[in-house]
Amino acid sequence: MTDLSRRTMGLGIAAGAATLSTRAARAQTPSEVKIAMLVPLSGPWARQGILEQMGARLAIEDVNNAGGIKSMGGAKMKLIEYDTQDSSEKAKDAAQRMVAQEPDLVGGFGCWLSSFTLAATEVTERVSLPWLTLSYSDAITGRGFKHVFQSSPTADKQAEELLPMIVELASRARGDGWKPTKFAYIGDNTASSVSFMKSIRGPKAQELGLTMVADEVYTPPLSDATTMVQHIRSAKPDFLGFQSTNVPDDKLLADKFAEFGLRSNKLPKIGGGGHWAVPELLNVAGAENLEGILVALANWPGKRQADLEKRFIAKTGEPWFGHDSIFAYVHVMILKEALERSGVADRVKVSQALRTLDMTDGPAAFFPDSTLKYDEKGRRMGAKLCVVQWRQGKPVPVYPPSIATHEVIWPKI
Amino acid sequence: MRYGSAPRLKKDLVTLGIVSVAYLAISAFVTNSYYQLIMTLVPVWALFGVSWNILSGYGGQLSFGHASFFGIGAYVVTLALVYWNLTPWLGIPLGMIVAAGAAVLIGLPTFRLKGHYFALSMLAYPLAILYFLQYLGFQEMSLPMHRENPAAYLEFTNPHYYTLVGVILLILGVFVCMLVENSRFGLALLSIRQNELAAEAAGIDTKLWKMRALVVSGMLAAAAGGFYACVLLVVTPDSVFGMLVSAQAVVVTLFGGVASIWGPVIGAAILVPLAESLNAELGSMLPGIQGVVYGVAIIAIMLAAPDGLFWTIRDKYFTPKPPAPLPASLAANAPPVAQPAPAGSLLMKVEGLSRSFGGLRAVSGVTFDVRAGEILGIIGPNGAGKTTLFNLLNGVLSADEGTAILGGQSMLGKKVHAVARMGVGRTFQVVRSFPRLPLLDNVIVGAYGAGFTDADAIASAAHALERVGLSALAGVPAGQLTNKQLRLMELARALAGAPRVLLLDETLAGLGREECDDVLDVLQRLRTEGTTVVIIEHTMHAMMRIADRFVVLDHGRVLASGLPRDVVENRSVVEAYLGKKWAAKQDA
Repeated sequence: MTDLSRRTMGLGIAAGAATLSTRAARAQTPSEVKIAMLVPLSGPWARQGILEQMGARLAIEDVNNAGGIKSMGGAKMKLIEYDTQDSSEKAKDAAQRMVAQEPDLVGGFGCWLSSFTLAATEVTERVSLPWLTLSYSDAITGRGFKHVFQSSPTADKQAEELLPMIVELASRARGDGWKPTKFAYIGDNTASSVSFMKSIRGPKAQELGLTMVADEVYTPPLSDATTMVQHIRSAKPDFLGFQSTNVPDDKLLADKFAEFGLRSNKLPKIGGGGHWAVPELLNVAGAENLEGILVALANWPGKRQADLEKRFIAKTGEPWFGHDSIFAYVHVMILKEALERSGVADRVKVSQALRTLDMTDGPAAFFPDSTLKYDEKGRRMGAKLCVVQWRQGKPVPVYPPSIATHEVIWPKI
Repeated sequence: MRYGSAPRLKKDLVTLGIVSVAYLAISAFVTNSYYQLIMTLVPVWALFGVSWNILSGYGGQLSFGHASFFGIGAYVVTLALVYWNLTPWLGIPLGMIVAAGAAVLIGLPTFRLKGHYFALSMLAYPLAILYFLQYLGFQEMSLPMHRENPAAYLEFTNPHYYTLVGVILLILGVFVCMLVENSRFGLALLSIRQNELAAEAAGIDTKLWKMRALVVSGMLAAAAGGFYACVLLVVTPDSVFGMLVSAQAVVVTLFGGVASIWGPVIGAAILVPLAESLNAELGSMLPGIQGVVYGVAIIAIMLAAPDGLFWTIRDKYFTPKPPAPLPASLAANAPPVAQPAPAGSLLMKVEGLSRSFGGLRAVSGVTFDVRAGEILGIIGPNGAGKTTLFNLLNGVLSADEGTAILGGQSMLGKKVHAVARMGVGRTFQVVRSFPRLPLLDNVIVGAYGAGFTDADAIASAAHALERVGLSALAGVPAGQLTNKQLRLMELARALAGAPRVLLLDETLAGLGREECDDVLDVLQRLRTEGTTVVIIEHTMHAMMRIADRFVVLDHGRVLASGLPRDVVENRSVVEAYLGKKWAAKQDA
């Protein structure tokens, strides 16, 4: 085969010797086991990919320093990095290249953006490659795939959980029996926001005694928020939610509310998604305008990871250890755990091991709820939202209590 | 089918067969799934290029928005599979039907535009559809996986089968393109590309042919798009309706060779693997560098081979065989022409014909008769309204007032091709030829325009060539003809439609004295054969030699008419041509 392939290469059509099969690595106890990371390392989402890369590299270092995979004679883990670039098509393309060029991969994770993950898993599933993801979309684990594992609460679940959680946070923070009754939302009209808002506008709010007093929708990129801010101001909600999807829009919204004298000490605000808690937002919007804004997201390192956070900051020079990096870190750890259990570098066995994981320690400790068990769809059971709050230019975990380093501040107005 | 198309078709089919088998054989040895994917994408983009080539290459209707049809194919396949569980085996044909409908809807308003305006409007459609699909919530559609019986849903675990399906689709597409190229369809499109007005004047219903081209082209694009969706697994509006998709069709075709069957195939076979491997090897190191390298490669090849690789290589290395002369029997089979009206009888009557452009009366109350079998010369200084008069007569411009009757039927208020079908042949000041096509094919367009069947058209064209004395050159590409021969070719093209009257617009322009005499001899011969000619000409001595009567136009009015001798001695005519001073001198 190899000879013939070389000949075809000579004909100008390059061909590799790798085969597309689910075959595992040949050696019984390989000296190294490859896992893949497929994330955006270029294009508009590159920053998120790089944050994942930092977390993953630290995890690989930690695993190998601790003696590699013990059940496989101390085999080292090796991270193979692929770039999704900037579109689903390219992400899928990269996945195709990845499975073709690295036939002995035993698992992988990525691709941050749900669209990319949806596309790439169409490829990984077809070659039975176990795949872990932090992406939120319900569709990722709604296709009956057997080898895809979603560690975040899904988007629908997040939308469902969000309002009760805010009410709980607010009443607990105030501690005087007060509950919010009026709320407002500003969201863009991208697909994920539209489906998220459908749930927010649903009957759940009424059950909680909440009335939606303003519901503003815009087309990103946002160019001027003045009218929306004026509507919100005159509607006088008890809190305001943001369903924006990118940092520039976040900045504009935070700035405009501050300009109208509605910082979070006058109007509590909650943003959805990891982009509300990245250093770039701090750089453009400034600590003052962000102060007090709550951010709901799928994971955040808590007080239990204080030591890890310190090492991460020292190694990378990042201001904090956040959502994207901890997910990459924990995914490497979960794959390591599955490899320990399966004892062989065989992707189907690794997939089975992932499916049967049921832990509350080890890698599970990197989730706020400390549980690691995937249901039959591949969704992590017990996955819950967490909340961070901007305090003096740094997002600090305030919910759930298992990770909280600070108490949430909810102003009395 | 065009003359001599059978052996050409056979040769092309054999080539197609050999290339396909060789390609599939190579693909069988490629075991890396990524390279296999590239081998699947080559026929997809080649087919898309073939589709674009039919409308924009042959037809010259530059479309920057062919992604409309590609995307429709992809989305129909995807949505039908997701919502109705319809297998792509049926989804692809369904997509082609939907694309045909879309082509009609898009063509009806857009073919009102020409040139750049057409190209730019075409660009708008995929962008509009893209946002519409986003609005509908179809941002990312993944094709559901079928674990049971995947082949029934065009899903294969062995990627070689994808390549096989791609190649089969491409074979079908190329075959359609061969049929188009070798029939009157292709010639009609080529003539539209050369000059839409001239094509209309030759009797070709350009709107209808353009629409047919758009429909065929849209269907092929949809087939490519539908199959692409199956390979892509995840369809997003950007990946099938995006700017880059439209550009892909343009680029592979321009690179490989416009208006050639093999152009898009060659272009795709080189550019797709190049782009993919650049993307794979360089994309992660220097994001965007692949686009730069790709762009530079295209610019380089465009500078070195502006017609595309196919034509450049063919022109450089393959000198075509000297063409075989036409069999003499061919011309003899020309369809019998209706008996020309008896010489001297009234053939065409123009009365009070007027047309203004704003305040300028370009043609004003022009009245004259054309008698059967005569050569009527229309003369007058520059800007006298001669060409405008012709444009009014054959429907290019509409008249404000007046009548023009040919054999009892009004010529006014009709489309250009309809006037041509009435028996009005016309040539233009600037010759428009198809340089790569043999002379016979250049002439045959006129015969097709008159509505002849294939056999009659070939015979009629051969007969027309014989009448202008170019029979010996029938197989020579028009690009190798001299200026005089090109003028005669245009004359033959107009004659091939067996017209009742010929309108010749400055047929002698740019010819030397001897060449001029040769053409005049041909015109005189035509007159003896009973052909009626109305000719615009500047060269006075030539007109004096052949015209039976003159009509002199100045400032849009008939200044004088009558026998040549009388007219040139008419004082007002001399004044119009040479000025009052000269006229006074003459008098003295």
